Amino acid sequence: MFESLFYILIFPGVLFVSVFGLAAEVMDRKIYARLQNRVGPPWFQTVADFIKLLGKEDIVPIDANPRMFRIAPLFALTSAVTVFLYIPLWGAQSLFSFNGDIIMVLYLLTVPTLAFFVGGWYSTSLFARIGSVRAVTQLFAYEVPLFMSILASALLANTWSMKEIASFYTQHPYYCFFNIIGFAVALVSLLGKLEKVPFDIPEAETEIVAGIFTEYSGRLLGILRLTIDIEMVVGSALLAAVFFPVGMTLAPVIGFLLFIVKVLIIVAIMALLRTVVARLRIDQMIDFCWKYMVPMAVCQLLMNLVLKGILFR
Amino acid sequence: MEVVKKIMTWARIKSPWILHFNTGACNACDIEIIAALTPRYDLERFGVQLKGTPRHADVLVCSGAVTRQIEDRLIRIYEQMPEPKFVVAVGTCACSGGVFDGCYNVMGGIKSVIPVSAFIPGCPASPKAIIDGVAKLLESLEEKNDTGRKS
Repeated sequence: MFESLFYILIFPGVLFVSVFGLAAEVMDRKIYARLQNRVGPPWFQTVADFIKLLGKEDIVPIDANPRMFRIAPLFALTSAVTVFLYIPLWGAQSLFSFNGDIIMVLYLLTVPTLAFFVGGWYSTSLFARIGSVRAVTQLFAYEVPLFMSILASALLANTWSMKEIASFYTQHPYYCFFNIIGFAVALVSLLGKLEKVPFDIPEAETEIVAGIFTEYSGRLLGILRLTIDIEMVVGSALLAAVFFPVGMTLAPVIGFLLFIVKVLIIVAIMALLRTVVARLRIDQMIDFCWKYMVPMAVCQLLMNLVLKGILFR
Repeated sequence: MEVVKKIMTWARIKSPWILHFNTGACNACDIEIIAALTPRYDLERFGVQLKGTPRHADVLVCSGAVTRQIEDRLIRIYEQMPEPKFVVAVGTCACSGGVFDGCYNVMGGIKSVIPVSAFIPGCPASPKAIIDGVAKLLESLEEKNDTGRKS
């Protein structure tokens, strides 16, 4: 009982993942700034932002449904934090591992997007509603290639649990290279899931004010921002666990540091992509996902099926 | 409680998010405000971010004398911002009405409509002056340790 509370609240639960998420956002913004030839925010910037938002007034618009408006951010935060309990940090096993946990992780990662949709829809602002509809439209485009590419890696390992995936790739480390197309597809889809440039269409600042988050202020906005940070860390951790589960059998401290490095490298690649590309229109984004990413993911699936036939005869 | 208050003030000083609103300026001050936000001056060093919606903003940066038509909108934007909030008037027109003071279609400076925390004169105010003004506003926060309501 006490132990579970420790896992959920402190490590690797709410406290650790929040600090890690805030740190990852600082790194993301710092890399973004350095690539634009400027100094960028100091290291405590996201902590200051978060504390400031906690101390601000919460405004619920008069037309909004107060219950749904308040509960949506909490729902998103809870599901994003829960995912982290099922991702193996070191020792090839997560805290609560079971067969099929990869499916549950993917499902839980979809929940924040839907919660954002509900929050934006019930704030009844026109901008928020346009943003919500765009978020869900986008969901149908990036979700399919993301699932296909992540499950392709699981297919090669012949299992649906992250623990087995980690032990399989630890035995055959070179098999990681077969999944390189899948990794590229999953990384680009993850940008869509995190609503980052070039897929920040739901909160496009220059078109629809702040999209879904237009009417949110104070504490609720702080929770929403924290959710996006945690989603970024959790998504990167999922990619690291599925595509590069090497070094999982190392000693706890070294294995854990290696895990952090892997996550931060993926965050850095995302920051780089964010700097070099511009925002797409919603129709271009959907065309891109269905015309290029899905076929690539299918290629990866077929390749893994054929490989399975050759390698494990 | 003293410690919590101190941390709050620190966080407020380190992360001012601004909203830019043209209340009837000739566009010169707006260009200077945009120039202050470019990578050359890099305001993100101080945690400043330009936000699109008044709900996210802490500091309302106004430029220009308040025209009769924009008066209601300015009050509405101000009331949409969550407490604590501050208003900065950029440019001579925003400070006092400037050359438009006394015109039939102009109310006067920003302070004739909503409370203002900092005035930055200049025609137009240069980016350096704007940054200096905002920095002074934040410094004054630290001394007063107040909630931002100006009587």
